Amino acid sequence: MNKTLDTGKVPTWCPGCGTYGVNAALKKSISDLKIEPKNVVVCYDIGCSGNMINVLNVCGVETLHGRSIPVAVGVKIARPELSVIAQAGDGGLLSEGLNHFVHAMQRNDDITLVLNNNYIFGLTAGQKSSATPVGVMARAQSKENQIKPISAVDLAVVSGCKFIARVPVENISLLQEAITLAIQFEGFALVEVIQPCKVWAKDFPQEKFVYLEGPVDDAKELIGKSNLAGILYLDK
Amino acid sequence: MMTADDSITIKICGPAGSGIMKLGELLSSALNQCGFFTLTYPEYPSAIRGGDNNVQIVISSQENLSPRNKIDLLFALDQKLLDSHREDLKKDALVFDANTLKIGELPEVAANPIVKNTVAAGFIWKVLSQDLDTLLRAIKETIDEKYVDINFRAVELGYELQVDEKIKMPASDAKKKINGATANEILSLAIKKADCQYCSIYPITPINSLLGFLSQTDIKMVVPEDEIFAALSTIGASYAGKRSVTATSGAGFSLMCEAVGFSSMAEIPLVVVLGQRSGPSSGMPTYSGQSDLNLAINPGHGDFPKIVLAPGDLQEAMNLGQTAFNLAEKYQLPVIVLADKYMCESRFSSGKGLDEKTIEIDHGKRFEAGSDYCRYKLSHDGISPRAYPGETTFLTSSYEHDECGFSADDAKTRTEMMDKRDRKIENMDGGFEVFGNKNSDTLIVGWGSTKSSILEYLAINPEVKYIHIWRPWPFAADLKKEVLKAKKVIVIENNFSGQMASLIEMKTLKPVLRITKDDGRPFYKEELAKLIDQSI
Repeated sequence: MNKTLDTGKVPTWCPGCGTYGVNAALKKSISDLKIEPKNVVVCYDIGCSGNMINVLNVCGVETLHGRSIPVAVGVKIARPELSVIAQAGDGGLLSEGLNHFVHAMQRNDDITLVLNNNYIFGLTAGQKSSATPVGVMARAQSKENQIKPISAVDLAVVSGCKFIARVPVENISLLQEAITLAIQFEGFALVEVIQPCKVWAKDFPQEKFVYLEGPVDDAKELIGKSNLAGILYLDK
Repeated sequence: MMTADDSITIKICGPAGSGIMKLGELLSSALNQCGFFTLTYPEYPSAIRGGDNNVQIVISSQENLSPRNKIDLLFALDQKLLDSHREDLKKDALVFDANTLKIGELPEVAANPIVKNTVAAGFIWKVLSQDLDTLLRAIKETIDEKYVDINFRAVELGYELQVDEKIKMPASDAKKKINGATANEILSLAIKKADCQYCSIYPITPINSLLGFLSQTDIKMVVPEDEIFAALSTIGASYAGKRSVTATSGAGFSLMCEAVGFSSMAEIPLVVVLGQRSGPSSGMPTYSGQSDLNLAINPGHGDFPKIVLAPGDLQEAMNLGQTAFNLAEKYQLPVIVLADKYMCESRFSSGKGLDEKTIEIDHGKRFEAGSDYCRYKLSHDGISPRAYPGETTFLTSSYEHDECGFSADDAKTRTEMMDKRDRKIENMDGGFEVFGNKNSDTLIVGWGSTKSSILEYLAINPEVKYIHIWRPWPFAADLKKEVLKAKKVIVIENNFSGQMASLIEMKTLKPVLRITKDDGRPFYKEELAKLIDQSI
């Protein structure tokens, strides 16, 4: 692995946080693809996982909450030769900046999106997000959540996204494979990382994932199936 | 020698969709070729069909013009609209309408109702006693080739109609090369000259034609979902080393404010054209105003440096439209170019010939290989060399950060970085131009699009001193001196509260008189003269 991908700063994540895994997978992908770190631009959302800017030694841009996609698209249009990744949490992608997600897929903007889905607003200490499952108690709520979560994968299907992956962070080799394929993919590529928050979502019911052996032929088969994992759809 | 009334004003009205705007462009362009200066000021409601679209054309031997309260000639494409303009008529004004002239009954018009406006052009041209060939030439230049023949015939038909009374025209000089354009046209030229390579613009009045002009160039464009994407993708392209621009109006700029703060904090150049219109909220979206000065100098939360430019005429639009990119790159911050509906969509004319020279491109301090690079290195002038991705790894951040871009919240770093960013523009001087009697105790101050109106007043009243501010922010120390020197300061602007007046009072602690107008219309000549005379 390319050691120069570390800035040497100590991450601000809790013990066991999935973002350690995402950081490791990203570094491995960049190394395997032999892309020089100076040719990688990662545009970060505001949130726990966005703090990766301080540890990953590439061209990192800390943007605004919910706005990593617009900045990433501008970079890619200006300099198509760069590898451009937008990072977002479920708060920044499925709550605040949802419109950019849908429209970037509609336009098929040529960027990779890594979604760190921890089911919750982590950095602000545990409030419900648009990805919080039904029936759980979140911070600042008087009763169990009754609102069905928004599925990034379902939205990707109906918005015409041509590369869709959903990977639980525990499956680090699959995550790394998904990120590598996504970076190489020409067009908008979604990698949703399932990484329930170890502090605020630790009591949430665990999804029992079913791994697909290969991508489905018809992306519509993915709709409503939040338990499917793997490289779910790949439009060649 | 200037006389107060060496101009005539015509107004043409018709429902939306009847080609009033095209008619205004056609006539003013032909009049320029005849050697007249013109100001062509359109008014229209926010509706695609119906209503009352009208265009006022001031025709003069003088260059600096403002719209008029009273008109010499009214032509209505629809008789029903005559009543709404009767109050605008001078006592001896000529009034025509297409119904009375039976234009609709001409076989060519009955077959092709769309040419009604060019028949009207031919008729008006005869009332103005101008040479038909010039109008035909203008048609060739302004109308799509495949429609030229049918419009030629239509103009001739109008010119053949019986005219009983003609208008006495001001002096003209056909040898003079007079060019007309809107500020949107000139700004788009300037943007292209500045080597802009990316833009993302959400449609909004009054910058729609700017978007149209830019779409005809090779500048890369992404159609945005909202103004937030527009501003942030522009910042992204700029970060990546390509000059880029977005444009909007006050409503869209309100959505961009967080991005403007990001540009300043992360020190990424950003150029935004802000075409002001009548707010607040949806307001009167097709009417003008200068009420976004406060917004432009205070966009978003926190204290951060930014530069606000406000071109007052076509030449300044050409120069500042280019300079904006140099300033944004030199100081690595947001530059807001304030225009307004009046100047974006009105057609002004210029006699000296617009100086279209390309201003030398300055990318500012740049990264040099071999050094231990930190993006936000502290420096004497506050400016740190800028790298582009692909040159080295480096961090860029909306968070408060240390010299290398790592997130920081310790008191020392915070203080150093706030000082560093502020230092970049703290001593910027100038940004204004002085006209008239420089020794006068009475000082008139204006900014942006009021320039030609106030200059027209000054042509008749040369004894006063006039300062036109073309860079409202940062507010220069030498401007403060000028204000403090005057006994009486009168600030003229198209907004409700007197936003520039308040800014001057805040910066100089000197009370000023306000002349404000906020009904969506620019100052009319007669009205402005009266208001200034009362204040003096």
